[in-house]
Formats: sequence, C-alpha cells, structure tokens
Amino acid sequence: MVKFLAKRVFYLLLTLFIVVTVTFFLMKLMPGTPLTNEAKLSPAERYMVLKQYGLDKPVWQQYISYLVNAVHGNFGTSFQFSDQPVSYLISSRMGPSLLLGAQAMVVGVIAGIIVGAIGAIKKSTWVDTSTTIISILGISIPSFVFSVLLQYVIALKWGLLPIAGWSGFAYTILPTLALAAMPLAESARFVRTEMVDVLSSDYIELARAKGLSKFGIIYHHALRNSLIPLVTIIGPLAVNIMTGSLVVENIFAIPGIGEQFVNSVLTNDYPTIMGLTVMYCFLLCVVLLITDIVYGIIDPRIRVAGGRE
Amino acid sequence: MKMKSVVKLGVVGAASAFLLAACGNSSKESTSKYINWQESAGLNTLDASKLTDSESMVMVGNSNEGLLLNGPNNTIKPGVAESYKVSKDGKTYTFNLRHSKWSNGKPVTAKDFVYGWQRTVNPKTASQYSYLLDHVKNATEISAGKAPVSSLGVKAEGDYKLVVTLNRPQSYFKYIVAMAACYPQDKATVEKYGSAYATNSKAMLYNGPFKVEGWNGTNDTWTLVKNKDYYNASKVKVAGIKFSVQKDANTALNQYETGQLDETTLVGQQQVGKYKSSSELHNVKQASTFYLEMNEKADSYFKNANIRKALSLVIDRDQFTKDTLGDGSTSAQGLVSPGMSQYKGVDFTKAAGTKTGVSYNVSEAKKLWAKGLKEVGKKSINFTLLADDTPQGKSTTEYLQTAFANLPGLKVSSLNVPYKTRLSRSQNGQFDMVVSGWYADFPDPISFMSLLTSDGSYNNGKWSNAKYDELVKNAEGSDSNNVAKRWDDLVNAEKILMNDQGVIPLYHKVQPNVIKPRVSGVQFFPTGLSTDFRDATISKK
Repeated sequence: MVKFLAKRVFYLLLTLFIVVTVTFFLMKLMPGTPLTNEAKLSPAERYMVLKQYGLDKPVWQQYISYLVNAVHGNFGTSFQFSDQPVSYLISSRMGPSLLLGAQAMVVGVIAGIIVGAIGAIKKSTWVDTSTTIISILGISIPSFVFSVLLQYVIALKWGLLPIAGWSGFAYTILPTLALAAMPLAESARFVRTEMVDVLSSDYIELARAKGLSKFGIIYHHALRNSLIPLVTIIGPLAVNIMTGSLVVENIFAIPGIGEQFVNSVLTNDYPTIMGLTVMYCFLLCVVLLITDIVYGIIDPRIRVAGGRE
Repeated sequence: MKMKSVVKLGVVGAASAFLLAACGNSSKESTSKYINWQESAGLNTLDASKLTDSESMVMVGNSNEGLLLNGPNNTIKPGVAESYKVSKDGKTYTFNLRHSKWSNGKPVTAKDFVYGWQRTVNPKTASQYSYLLDHVKNATEISAGKAPVSSLGVKAEGDYKLVVTLNRPQSYFKYIVAMAACYPQDKATVEKYGSAYATNSKAMLYNGPFKVEGWNGTNDTWTLVKNKDYYNASKVKVAGIKFSVQKDANTALNQYETGQLDETTLVGQQQVGKYKSSSELHNVKQASTFYLEMNEKADSYFKNANIRKALSLVIDRDQFTKDTLGDGSTSAQGLVSPGMSQYKGVDFTKAAGTKTGVSYNVSEAKKLWAKGLKEVGKKSINFTLLADDTPQGKSTTEYLQTAFANLPGLKVSSLNVPYKTRLSRSQNGQFDMVVSGWYADFPDPISFMSLLTSDGSYNNGKWSNAKYDELVKNAEGSDSNNVAKRWDDLVNAEKILMNDQGVIPLYHKVQPNVIKPRVSGVQFFPTGLSTDFRDATISKK
C-alpha cells in the first residue's frame, strides 16, 4: 500500500508539473497583454507597467520564477483585480462553488440511484421508459435552459424562492437543482445498466430461491453491487461540478469560481488562470487517487497492490 | 478607455431570452432606505491610481472627491478646491482647498493631493492612466523612470493651497483634475496597508459623500454608505446604495421587475423594446464612437479614397442603429461624438459636420466603387472584417456584410473574436478592416482626434494626412491657449478626416437602463465618473 501510494503521489506531481508547463506556454501564445489601457500608454510607460508584472523578462525566466513561487504556494497577484493575491481570490470565491457542488452531488446522486433502480426493477415497462427519458433529458438539456426555466417558473411566476443572489440557504435551492440535473442523469444511467445486469445474475436467482423478500434482495444484494461502478464516475463528476459552472453561477448571481475562470481567460489574467488550472488539476488527481483506493476497499475483486505481481 | 463588461454573458443571455419573452411586468417597488443598484461586473479595485474600469471608477468617484467635480453639460463644479486660478500663459494652476476631512477624521490637505498625483505617475505604481498627467511638469520623465517622483510639477503651499505647473498649456486640464488619477490619497494609509491598500473596503480612507462597506476584495455585493465626515454631508439625502453584481441580463431584469433592484441596465433589442415607451427607461449617452478602420499597410487598395468612400456610402446608419442594434445607440455624426464640447453655443459635431463622411447613397457608392476599382487596377476585392464577439459586435458584422453586398465584386467574410484578441490584432496590424471603438476619457474633441494622427498608437489602419497631423499638433501645442484658434484647428481636422474618409464612423453608443420612479437625482456623465449618487433621493411613500 505504501509503495502504491508513493508511486501515485509521484505521478500526481509529475502530472501537475506537465499541466503547469503546458498551460504556461499555451498562455504565452494567447494574443494581447493584461493591460486594459495599452493604446494610450507611451512605449516607456507600457514597459514600466509590464516590468511591474515581471513580463519584461524572457519567457523562460518567467517560467522558472513561476515554478519556484508555485512550489512555495505563491501564485502571484491577479492582473485584473489589482494587487489581489491569486490564492485569496481563489479561496474567497471557492466556498459558494464547493457548497453548491456538494449539495448538487448529494441531491443528484441519491435521486439518480433511485431513478436508476426503479428503471431496472421495472425493466421494459413504461416506468423504465420514463426514467430513461428523464436521464436523457438531464444530459441533453443545457444547464442554462434548465436554470432559466427554474428561475422563471419557481422564483418569478410562483414567487416561492429568491430569483438570484447569495444570502442564505433559500438562495442555494434553485442553483442546486439546476446543477443536480447532470449527476442525476449520469448516475441513473449507470445504476440502471448495472442493476439490470446484477438482477439477472445467479446469486440473485439464489436469493430468490431462498425466499428472501423482494425488498431485501434489491436492497441488500442488487443495489449494493450495482453501486460499485458508480464510484468511478462520482469522483470526476464531483470535481467538475464543485469547481463551478459558469452558466449557473451567472444566472443565479453566485459569487463562485466558475465564472472567474472564464473571466480571467478573457482578460488575460495569467496568474489567475494558472492558479485555477493548478488547483483543478490537483483536485482531480487527488479525487482519482481516492477513488482508486476506495474502489479497492469496497470491491475485494480489485486490489490496488495485489499480493502477486 | 473604459469597457463596461456587459458583454461577457450576452451570448447565453440572448440564447435564453426567448424563454422570458412572455415575462410579465409586475413593476413592484422596494421600500428600502437604500437604493438597490445592479452592476454587470465585479469591483476590481478601490485604488484611484490603478483603476481602469468604469465600475471601479463609480465606487471610487462616489467615495472620494478630487479638487474639481463633473457637472451637467460638460461643466466643472468645485470639489475639494473651493476655487482655482489659471495663470495667463495657461501653465500654472493654483487651487484653494476647503477644510474637509477624511473618514478617520484627519484633515484633507494639499499634501494628500501632492502624494496622490505623485503616486499615479510613480513607475512603481504602474498606473495605466499615468498618461493623463503627461502635461504636468516632469510627469513623462517620472513615469519612464528617468526623474525622481518628487520633481513632479505639483507642490503644496501650506495645507490648503496647491500649485500645479504644466509643461505646456492644456485647455481641458480641468477635466483631468476631476478624474480619479488626481484624487487625494493619504500617505499613512497607503503605507500602512502596503500591497493590500484598496484591495478591500477596510484598507482604504474616504473623503467623498459615501464610504464603501462590505467589499472583501472578491465578493459580488457591497454598499456605498453615507459618509458623515463629508464636508457636504447635509446635502447627501440617501442612506446609501447597495450594489449587487448580476451578469445575466435576464436575471437582473427579473429582479428589477419584482422590486429587488431599483436599477438595471438593459441588454439587447428585446429588453429595450419592452421598455420603449416607459418613463423608467433612461438612455445614458456615452462619449463613444464605433468606427471602421481599414488597414492601408496590409491592403494597398484601402489607400484609395474612392474605395473607402464607397464602403462608407453603402451603410445606412439610421437603419443600422434603429433596426439592427435597437438599443438606443445613435448614428455616427463623425469621429467625435456629439455633446463633447461647444463653442459659442454650437456643438462640435455641428460645426465640423460634413455630409460626405457619414451619409447613405448606394448609387453614388457604386459609381465611386467602380472608379476606385479601376484606379487600383482590380476587378474584385476580398477582405475579412474583424470585430468583437459580443452580441453588438456580431450584429455589426452581420449588418455590414449585407450592406457591402451592394458593391459588385466585393466579398467580405467576418471574424468575431474576444475583446482583448481584437485589440491585440488591431495593434499588430493583423486585420483588413476592423470595428474599433473609443470611449473618450474627458469631454474634449482631442480625446478622439489624437487617435488618428500618423504616429497615433491607436491609429491601426495607418491612415495618414499631413494637414490633419499639423492641425492636431497645433491644437495641442501653439494654439492650446487660444480657444477660437484651437476650436478651428479641431473642426478643420475633423472635416479633413471625414472628407477623406480616413475612418468610417458607424454609431455612438448609448447605454439604456431602467430606474424605478422612487429614485431620482442620480446623475450620468458621458466621460469620467459615469454615475454620480451625490444628489440622489428616494421619494417616500
């Protein structure tokens, strides 16, 4: 196990290094500078501003100093928010995105498991067809359409919940629902497919033959085993959702990180782009690692470091 | 140049707009003592020397005050300076300061202005607006790192007298004095917070009618609260203004209609159309012009004036602004936007108005086009039209492609890219024709005219005219202290530009917004501080 972990941590660092390097040089290829007012500055004034940001040095020097600072956890200061450290920018805007993402994952995955299980149990009936339709809709309806619909009907027409903003639990409900559509659909599809498989396997037949109750069979034997593959998709899905959605955050005016990413790309805010990329990459790697470990624990057939080579 | 960031999510907004087409107008109103105001982008900084966007300008401009203030119709009102005197040669300004206080009770003195101005030109500050002070003695040398900051031509004589020395007279200097780059700054506060100065509402001192509260540096809501230490606090009628960032225009309008917001900007034809005949609609004029630049360096056929004129004549600006843009923007009158400056009661655009540069005449266009093609020895021309990828940028390219189809043998393809990419391609000459935009920094025609001199850094098309260069140079130099001569220089320069069709003006931008009837007295200015809440009131029910 220790050997496995050491190996994985090494790969994690290697991946981070490669991602940072590639992003850094891709970013340098982007047209434009972070100056918003380039046009009217004289060449001397422009040079002074670029010098302040360290952009007057050759690219390789910028790269090295970036790597050194990043190792120390310093991602520089944002170009767009003047003098704001990137680490603060990320940490202060990460909270709402994480909270919404976590809520959406819980709601989405639980609902998805229920929908998927019902579909499998009632296989090839109208119930199955409608659960399939739900999951297809969940995947194919763009989140902005779903968000706008929720906002229009529930908040504006019925006046049940706030239209947008961020000051309490009530404000999180609609964006959570909008975000939950995707994990709901994804997990419903997975669970249904798996469960159909499991339900037709021998040990279920055996359980039936032993005269166990229908609920007992489904809950203890079928459902549990159907959930194993779900573990593989939940991790990446969670990272995806918790790192924020540009569209949902904009429509519901959430002070989150998703919108910040797009904005920093549009404004050539190099330090923020880099900081966010490193953070996303780190989160994803860690989650994948945890997934692998958990997988081994819940499914004895897969062992991360097997006894035999 | 400021660029209001209403554009970011326009695409999503437009795509989802259809869902809200039937949205009812319930028009509720809030009863709060605060005005609830929408912002379409977050606040970047409260640092008067470093701000570049209009949102930051509005917050800094309402929570701080310079020597002079913007007034209606391009007038200037006294601010912290009760009065000022200009020497005969136009090179020395003496400001007499009133006794006023910072929000911590400390007096605002001339030294705070000296420090603020020095900080703006200090290369260590890396202000992107340092060029505004280029006329002040030694400013250019200081910002280039060639002279010490203390050599700047601004000196305190005692606590309440400030003397500014210019290199050369600048007739519009009073407008520059009213800008954030010239606000007072408290040295002790700047040094106390160091690099955290003005990055949140607490790391800041205020001397204006309001104080900023509740901004942690990255959040999307904050408040301008009445500043009791402001010298004119008795005239400030509202408790404050609550701001919230709404990037999605439909969400914002929903909140406006349910009374959660007192104001919101309108985006797109549909939203504007809905409020067309409402008294809540305010079309806020911006001193801006969008125009086409033709790359004469890359495409030699653009050196031909007949070709440039033909391309301009096929554009029906009235139809374009009314039917295609539909947001209240007005047809271009020339490069300089209307309402910038008057002399003897005549607006600049009237005085410099030519029919040639901005009229619509397809048959004349076809004649000139045929003539032009012959002169350059071509049968057909293909070029790419570059523009922003905003809804407005896309509408513009779509309309222009249709209009240009009137010219036989012309094939135009379009390329819509993000704002910064467009700027960078323009500056590097990587375009054939580009839709450029300019927002004036201060209300004087020179803010536009200086763009197109041969060596102008924003003259991307490289149009060049020696007479034009000379007139603009005179206006900034030998004639700068002679109002009548300077006016003639600029009027004639604009005429030359239009008669030669150096650029093709398209429209002047108007920002439509809706404000609840309970709120009044908010002032909008086309340049500088765009929204002033000093005189705002809320009617009681």
